[in-house]
Amino acid sequence: MNYWNPYLETLPREELDKIELSYFKKIFSYAKEYSILYQEKMKGIDLRDIKTPDDIKKIPLTDKEELRKYQEMEPFPYGGILGRSIDEVTTFRQTSGTTGKPVYVPETYESWQWRIEAWCHILYMAGFRPHHRVFLPFGYNVYVAFWEAHYASEKLGCELVPGGALDTKGRIHKIIEIRANGMMNTPTYGLHIAEEAKNMGIDPASLGIERMLCAGEPMPEATRRRLEGLFGCHVFDHIGGTEPCAWAGMCEVKEGLHIIEPFFLVEILDRETLQKEVEEGEIGVAVVTPLGRRSFPLIRFNTKDLVIKGKETCLCGRTSRKIKEVVGRTDDLRKIRGVLFSPKTVEEAIRHEFPEVVEFEIVVERKGIMDEITIRTEVAPGLSEKEIDHVKARLRENLKVKTNLSFHVQMEPPGSLPRYTLKAKRFKDMRETRND
Amino acid sequence: MIEEIRHEIETIEESANRLKRLAEANPAIRKNAEILLNFIYILKFITPETEKEEN
Repeated sequence: MNYWNPYLETLPREELDKIELSYFKKIFSYAKEYSILYQEKMKGIDLRDIKTPDDIKKIPLTDKEELRKYQEMEPFPYGGILGRSIDEVTTFRQTSGTTGKPVYVPETYESWQWRIEAWCHILYMAGFRPHHRVFLPFGYNVYVAFWEAHYASEKLGCELVPGGALDTKGRIHKIIEIRANGMMNTPTYGLHIAEEAKNMGIDPASLGIERMLCAGEPMPEATRRRLEGLFGCHVFDHIGGTEPCAWAGMCEVKEGLHIIEPFFLVEILDRETLQKEVEEGEIGVAVVTPLGRRSFPLIRFNTKDLVIKGKETCLCGRTSRKIKEVVGRTDDLRKIRGVLFSPKTVEEAIRHEFPEVVEFEIVVERKGIMDEITIRTEVAPGLSEKEIDHVKARLRENLKVKTNLSFHVQMEPPGSLPRYTLKAKRFKDMRETRND
Repeated sequence: MIEEIRHEIETIEESANRLKRLAEANPAIRKNAEILLNFIYILKFITPETEKEEN
C-alpha cells in the first residue's frame, strides 16, 4: 500500500477544500474561545463571515512577534498563546531563537499526537516502513523536529535508534554496528557524515542507508542528489517549523513536496502584499494554519518560508496540493548592491557544479559605501595550487552568472570552516543595517 | 467502509467516556481512558465526512 491514509490522501480536490473550510471554521471558533491572543486579535470578526475559502483571506495573519508578545503574559511560560489549561500541557518545546527571543510551544498529549500523526504522512510518503532501523544522529534537546521524527518512526513501526551524545565518528561506527538502514538529518550534517566517513576510509555508500529524510534547512535539488550519490540511497525533503508543525513532505516521485492535507491549510501568498494567492510556478510566502492542534491554536501563521507553488497533480495519485520547491526564508533574502540575493542560489551552484568544494561560507560586508560579498571556500585535500586557482576562477565566473554579483573567492585551509549538525549558518551579513 | 469505521470510532468514544466516569477515583484507569479519548480526537479528525455523504 502506497498511502498512510488512503481515504484522506485520495479525496477529490473539491472535497478536501470543503473539509478544510469546515476545519478552519472549527479551529477559528476554538481559538476565539480559548486563546487570549485570538480573543483580542479576532474581536471584530464573526465566524458567520467565513463562508468561502476566499473569506479566509480577510482574516489577519499571525506573526512570530505577536506570539512573543503574548507569551509574556501569565501563565508562564506560554501566556496568551495557550489554547488549553496549562495543567494539560505535557510537552515543552521551543523555537531556536535565531531571529530573537524563542517562542515556547505548549503541547498537550492530544496535540502532540496530532503532530505525530501528520509526521507519519511525511515518513510514509518517503518510504519508511517497519523494516527500517532508523538512526537519528542528534541529541534532540528542546527543539521539535527530531522529537517528532522519533515518535512518528515509532508509530509507523520502525525501529528507532537515538544517536545523541556521540561524536560523528562514534555515530558512523554505531550505524555500521547496528546496521541502520534509515536516517534523518539536516542536509548539512548528511554531507558532514559522508565527509567524515571518507576521512575514516569508509565509503558512505557502504554504510547501508536505504532512505534518508532531511529536515531543518532548505535543501537545493543539487544537494539532495549529491546526498543520494554519496550514500547510494533515496533522499527526501520536507518542510515545517516549530510553531506550525511539519506541513509538507516529498513522495517517491521526488518532484516537490505534498502539503499534508487536511491537517494544514496552506496559502502561498504574493510576497509584496501578502494578500493574493500566487500562480503555479511563482514564488510566494507560505502561510499555514494547523487545522486540528488545540493546545496552541495558530491562525494564518506567516512562516516567512519562500516557496514555489507546485502542480495540483502528482504521479503518485495523491490529491493534495504541492509546492515545487523551498526557496529559502524571507529573512535570508538580501539586497546587495541593489540585487536581490538568496544564499540558496550559491549552495545550488556549489553542490551541482563544484564537487571539489567541501564547505563554504558567504560573508557580506560594507566597505565605504560599497557592499562586498566574499565566499570563503574549503576544497578537498590533495588539490594542486593550479587546480585550486582553477576552482577559484570557475567559482567567480559561475556565481557572477548565477547571482549577478561579483564574489571575492577566499580559499581556507582544510577543516577550518565550521561544520554544523543542526541549522547551518553559511550566510553572514556583517552590514549594520539591512537594505531590504 | 468509512461509515462503518466512523460508527466504530463513536462506539469507542462512548465507551472511553463511560470508562473515564467509572474510574473517577482511579488515576491510572482514568488517565488511560483520557489517552484513548486523545486518539479518538485524531481518529475523528482523519475520517472527516464529505459533503456528499452529509447530503
